[in-house]
Amino acid sequence: MNTVKATIGRSIDIRYVLMILIGLFFLAVIVHPLSLVIVKSFSSEAGFTLSNYVRIFSQDANVKAFWNSIWVSCLSTAVCVVLGTLLAMLIVRTDMPGKSWLRMLLLLPYGIPPFIGAMAWAQLFGPVGYVSKLYMNCTGAMSAPWRIYSAGGVVLVLAIYQFPVVFITVSGALGRIDTSLEEAARMSGSGPFRTLIDVTLPLITPAITASALLAFVGCISNFGIPALLGFRARFFVLTTRIYSALSIPDMPLATAMAVMLAITSGVPLVLARRLERRQSRYTVIAGKSVRPQTMNLGAWRTPIFVIVVIVSLFAGVVPLISMLLTSFLKYWGAPLRFANMTTGHYRYILNLPMVTRAFRNSAFLAVASATITMAVGALVSYMSIRAKIKGAKTLDFVGTIPYAVPCTMVAISMILAWSRPPVMLYGTIWVILAAYLVRYMPFSIRTTNATLQQVHVSLEEAARVSGAGWAQTMRDVVMPLIRPGLVAGWILVFMPALRELTMSVLLWSQGAETMGVVIYNMQDAGYSQIAAALSTVVLLVILAGNAVVRKLTKGEVSM
Amino acid sequence: MEERIKVSNLAKRFGTFTAVHDVSFTVHENEFFSLLGPSGCGKTTTLRCISGLEQPTEGEIYISGQLVTSPEKKVMAPPERRGIGMVFQNYAVWPHMTVEQNMSYPLRVARKPREQVNAKMAYLTDLLELKGLEERYPSELSGGQQQRVALGRALSTDPKVMLLDEPLSNLDAKLREQMRFELKDLQRKTGISILYVTHDQVEAMAMSDRVAVMNAGAVVQEGAPHDIYANPTDKFVADFIGTMNFVPGTVLSATQEGARVRLHSGVEVSIQGTSPKTGSCILAIRPEDILLGAERGADCEVDVRIFLGNVTEYRVRIGEDLLRVQTNASVRLEPGDRARAVIQHALIFPE
Repeated sequence: MNTVKATIGRSIDIRYVLMILIGLFFLAVIVHPLSLVIVKSFSSEAGFTLSNYVRIFSQDANVKAFWNSIWVSCLSTAVCVVLGTLLAMLIVRTDMPGKSWLRMLLLLPYGIPPFIGAMAWAQLFGPVGYVSKLYMNCTGAMSAPWRIYSAGGVVLVLAIYQFPVVFITVSGALGRIDTSLEEAARMSGSGPFRTLIDVTLPLITPAITASALLAFVGCISNFGIPALLGFRARFFVLTTRIYSALSIPDMPLATAMAVMLAITSGVPLVLARRLERRQSRYTVIAGKSVRPQTMNLGAWRTPIFVIVVIVSLFAGVVPLISMLLTSFLKYWGAPLRFANMTTGHYRYILNLPMVTRAFRNSAFLAVASATITMAVGALVSYMSIRAKIKGAKTLDFVGTIPYAVPCTMVAISMILAWSRPPVMLYGTIWVILAAYLVRYMPFSIRTTNATLQQVHVSLEEAARVSGAGWAQTMRDVVMPLIRPGLVAGWILVFMPALRELTMSVLLWSQGAETMGVVIYNMQDAGYSQIAAALSTVVLLVILAGNAVVRKLTKGEVSM
Repeated sequence: MEERIKVSNLAKRFGTFTAVHDVSFTVHENEFFSLLGPSGCGKTTTLRCISGLEQPTEGEIYISGQLVTSPEKKVMAPPERRGIGMVFQNYAVWPHMTVEQNMSYPLRVARKPREQVNAKMAYLTDLLELKGLEERYPSELSGGQQQRVALGRALSTDPKVMLLDEPLSNLDAKLREQMRFELKDLQRKTGISILYVTHDQVEAMAMSDRVAVMNAGAVVQEGAPHDIYANPTDKFVADFIGTMNFVPGTVLSATQEGARVRLHSGVEVSIQGTSPKTGSCILAIRPEDILLGAERGADCEVDVRIFLGNVTEYRVRIGEDLLRVQTNASVRLEPGDRARAVIQHALIFPE
């Protein structure tokens, strides 16, 4: 009896030690830096003050940036909702041809980094962009009637890169609706349209609302798009205004604005979570699955199909082609002829020390952050879901806090925490790594939670009953079962880390550039083709990574 | 009697798969008519064709004398214009509407005046015992209550025809038995014609005026429950309806009064039923048609005894064949006991 007790006691001890270590790690890397931002935003040299916030609402430029953020995000979200819901309905519930292809095309923008997307849209619709020139050639006008470098351009491009969130969520909800609910409405005397209004729409409203909130958060915390399309028009939003404040540097103002940003993006996230939970009210006994009835578009089939194809192409394929073309063009604005094509930009970037350094840095950062966050995430998940150790739920919570924190605020917190003794990381690549760890920790905990939940505890118990110890059970049963999920999760952190911009652009220093920073700086300095060539390389890596993830998870996960 | 539903030569094919083949039947006014069959026999597809939710490949459907479906004549009335009530297997009660909103929906769609809606709701909540639950959401109701809401919704417009698609299969056993009576009662009170789809033969037997047994997309037998039980026309129906022993044998002699049959084990038994011809056959015997503990009869050995309360079921061995026998509680035999068995009635099917 005694020996049995002793072994149980020892294994729990190990887990507690691990838990305390992770707890300390979270305190140092997540809690302390983030709380520094809040403290700093309320302090001056004299002590506690509200003056930083007063400055936001008393200085014209700051107020304007704040309201710009709000209305731009609201408008983009509205576009996302209309576009995403309409497309989801058309693709899930009508007899439109080529649905699976269109779905893939529409999800493409989800995998393209927004700032690269913004560059592509500038190439297409800028003053001498491909589409603008086509328009001028066709009409003989001196300039195109649109301006991509404007508030409108920011709204449009933000919407293009956020609507997949709505599209995916609403398509999923539409596919899950028990079709007998709609059939019951038909049997009650409602026509197809009335059924849509009375039954289908109310049933997917929670999905629409939740995804709209997420889209809003995506818009308001985005930096790349308003930076690349807004700076030139002197159009500022919170994220770009914080960027300017940091380059002065005006730390107190930057921290106060970061807190404002965190509040405006955190509240919708909390609301979205609530909605998800409330949706349980909408779950009803599942019936036998009948294929969802598809609506006959009739004479509208072809025109609607053409419109959807155009929208899908412009969402993903056209920007990619534009990027590719630009990367081969001898000089920006040159007519599109074969004679004007060159591989020079690729040769140039391959010989640029800064580029090879950035590649190395980004690769290192992506590998390190993916590995560390997945390892910590797996441990946290195991302790909170499986071992159900007291306190592990708190770790889970703390680890997922950064999900509600905009990248900009994470970056500022890193500057505050790591730029003074005893640990001076600011100015090195390590501060970027720390930021990535904070930012991606929630994602890895979520993946590992989901993965672990799929492995029923009885499988583990069966191994224990068969005589395997805890460690052997982990090695022989748990690890093999969760490995595909872990690998997919690893790549899901690796990919966005590889092309991260918002945090690295605030934290980089000479020698510690990332790919995102180099592309951004090249574009900012006017070297569009160099930026395009770099972007093309990054996009290729992303596409390859996406294919790997799809293969590993059999299509369940993609970016 | 007026015809409420008339289905003639209905066929539904999905690609190369034939779900329903040449199905015809008629449901009259005030009739409780069941489509009974195993899953995949085409009964639900038939029902969905009548509702207008599915379009058949061939055939015609009339509701109250009006042609509503005919691919040949390019007639396909949409479901909402057919004026029928329908109760779905999973009830399909809308989760975003209250009990009252669910039940009054058809009336609101039809733009009935408010007083009429209120009166109807008062009547239905009373009839279906849903008083006091009007403001509840479906998630706050039990399965049985949700089901009554679905019934109320289907009944609210006073349809002459109601379709029920396995409405009791999601209820627990006790509630299911109770709902059988309630449904039958409801039909009598409202005078509605009901087309009922089920795979549960007990349910169909208990409630129906007439039953159509379906198998592999076709109707194999149609008639009153007791007729189908007593005189199944083929082996499938005999097997599907009630419990049946199937024993291979050879008919030695046959007269009007009975037959002499030799089982494969060599044991000879007398059958009091009729036999069309002599030769190889399959005997179909109901467990309650075998009398145990008689003076005469075939020699048998008790294998297993199962006590079921009102009856006791035995598995006995006659020669090499194992047969299920049901007796009342007065017969008391133990496994291993020997007894005599008299087969009082059997059906003889060709092999």
